[in-house]
Amino acid sequence: MSGQPSVLEKVFAFVDERIGLKTLQAKMLNEPVPGGSRWAYVFGSCLLFIFIMQAVTGILLMFYYVPSADHAYASTQYILHEVDYGWFILSYHFWGSSAMVVMVFAHMSQVFLWGAYKKPRELVWLIGLALFGLVMAFGFTGYLLPWDQRAYWATTVGVEIMDKTPVVGDFIARFLKGGPTPGQMTLSRFFVIHVMILPAALMGLAGLHLFLFRKAGPAGPFRGSADELRARTDYFFPRQVWKDVVAMGAVFVTICSLAFIEPVVLLEEATPDPGDYHPEPEWYFLFLFQMLRLKIFSGELGQFVAGVAIPNAFLLLLAALPFIDRSPERNIFKRPIALIGWLLVMTGILVFTVSAIINREFLD
Amino acid sequence: MQPKLKSKVRCADRAVGEVTRIIVDPLSREVSHIVVGDGAGALERQIPAAQVETVTEDAVQLRGTSSEMAQFPAFQREGYVTIREVEIAHLEDHLHVEPGEVLVPVPELERNVKRRTFFTNFTHAIGFLLALPLAFPVLKYVMKPMYAPFDNRWIKIGNAGKVKTEDVGVQFKFKKSVKEAFMPEAEVDKNVWVLKASPAVLEGVYKGKDLEFKDHSGQVIWTNKRDVPYVAYSGKCPHLGCGYKWRNVPKLGRQIFLCPCHLSIYDPSGKVLDGPAPRPLDPVPIRVAANGDIEIIDVEFKAGTRAQVRIV
Repeated sequence: MSGQPSVLEKVFAFVDERIGLKTLQAKMLNEPVPGGSRWAYVFGSCLLFIFIMQAVTGILLMFYYVPSADHAYASTQYILHEVDYGWFILSYHFWGSSAMVVMVFAHMSQVFLWGAYKKPRELVWLIGLALFGLVMAFGFTGYLLPWDQRAYWATTVGVEIMDKTPVVGDFIARFLKGGPTPGQMTLSRFFVIHVMILPAALMGLAGLHLFLFRKAGPAGPFRGSADELRARTDYFFPRQVWKDVVAMGAVFVTICSLAFIEPVVLLEEATPDPGDYHPEPEWYFLFLFQMLRLKIFSGELGQFVAGVAIPNAFLLLLAALPFIDRSPERNIFKRPIALIGWLLVMTGILVFTVSAIINREFLD
Repeated sequence: MQPKLKSKVRCADRAVGEVTRIIVDPLSREVSHIVVGDGAGALERQIPAAQVETVTEDAVQLRGTSSEMAQFPAFQREGYVTIREVEIAHLEDHLHVEPGEVLVPVPELERNVKRRTFFTNFTHAIGFLLALPLAFPVLKYVMKPMYAPFDNRWIKIGNAGKVKTEDVGVQFKFKKSVKEAFMPEAEVDKNVWVLKASPAVLEGVYKGKDLEFKDHSGQVIWTNKRDVPYVAYSGKCPHLGCGYKWRNVPKLGRQIFLCPCHLSIYDPSGKVLDGPAPRPLDPVPIRVAANGDIEIIDVEFKAGTRAQVRIV
């Protein structure tokens, strides 16, 4: 039978004749990775994988979830307790969001430490920063949807922080809440932002990110002569793809395990009386939460500085980075300011997060 | 200048054929080798770019003689892919190896430049015409529920008999009916903290002045008299809007209001003792009937501002 093409081969040939599938496939897979494939390059692919899984589980959740103040909580409880494997889908989506944030941090750190944001990859870096913003916005808006006390209070405080933006703060806060206080309008708005606006924006920008990345080409290692790099160079497929797939598998197993070990449990239904609940944001916003507790960030000005000015100034600094740091040197060990800066930011976030967790005990 | 395909190749002693292929380094994106053959499918040799002495429009001069050239390895096609099958950024920008240009004629109708400019501008104009009238309605559409009139209803929250000790915060939980847009009327849980204030605390709250509450228009809707001992604080922390608690802190040797979110601490008169809060707790309109029933107006102020800005 070897002489006759199979049905599959015929279909492939049919499509190939019309759109040049073979060339397309070759172009996708045959991208030289300077200095060869590495485990350090898996983070971007992992992010794409996590996002796809969030989209899949998110769509599944919408089979039962109702975004209304009188049904959001009940429908989420229904998913958790009545729908077969509902607890798993919801818990996967929940832990997937955390995995996304962890992976974004890893991806950005890798690009930063490798000096890969430098010329000619400035645009890749800028779009990447926008994607980082989208991931945080996903986390913030998704947090409200179960409509339990945790959701309600994280949103209440989060929106109050945005309210501190000069001039437009009141408008932004009222726009997000759809009124003076959180309610049905807030839920509707967060829902449409979470399931329509952010996914569309993320798909568009992630596509652009990849396109720009392919246009600029991979940066490769920051050490090694041209000949050494040439000797170790391989294509994206198969070695890098293999590493990416193994990493995706590890991410998948981790998220599944977390979903099994710590499935989502809702608190009481949302209401403007917190009862015994001590409001707290999701762990990746804890450092900001703890910062706002500091005496130096007290008062109207202090809140603006900690809640709005510092985070935005930091993002602006990151955006300006490739234009400030014009030296072509990419070796992190020859960029002391960058290395110390990265260590300081990471330590700062870690210290504030840990102290927020320690503070919990004193409150109970 | 880069060697072109089909260029004649000469060694020091004689012509050796033509350039049949060009090999590019994927990292430097420069020409690394030329492949020289007779163009008729006979043996092709792979010559490093360093061997090239000069390049002209249609000829390549190699260093050394034809016998030295014969020592370079034969070209192995299977070790290479074409540039169409690989993605190397900016490769085309570096290569000028093809013999001349490959062209496609511009259609006859496309040669009027003026008309192109007109069409570009026309497209933009139509875009504006479509988008402009939509901008305002869309903005108003999404803003519909953002600004609601204040709610000045009196709500009964309980009886003053529950407040026994002076200067101790007592939480009154109450149900507030909410009718939001198209939703059925619903009840939400809310709370205020009520204090039977000693004269000293009362002085701390009112600073010797009656406290007026105003509507949107600035019209006074209620005045808390400075000599009424019952004070009700809005349950919303003036820092960032969490719910605060009444706590006995042995270390301070006193009882205080504590917000568990960002750790603002207030004394019974609402004054900020510690933490990030920008202003004291917010008293709300309160009236106590002869039988001890307490009613309040559930006003809310924007959190995080030094001045009180009423939002509900």
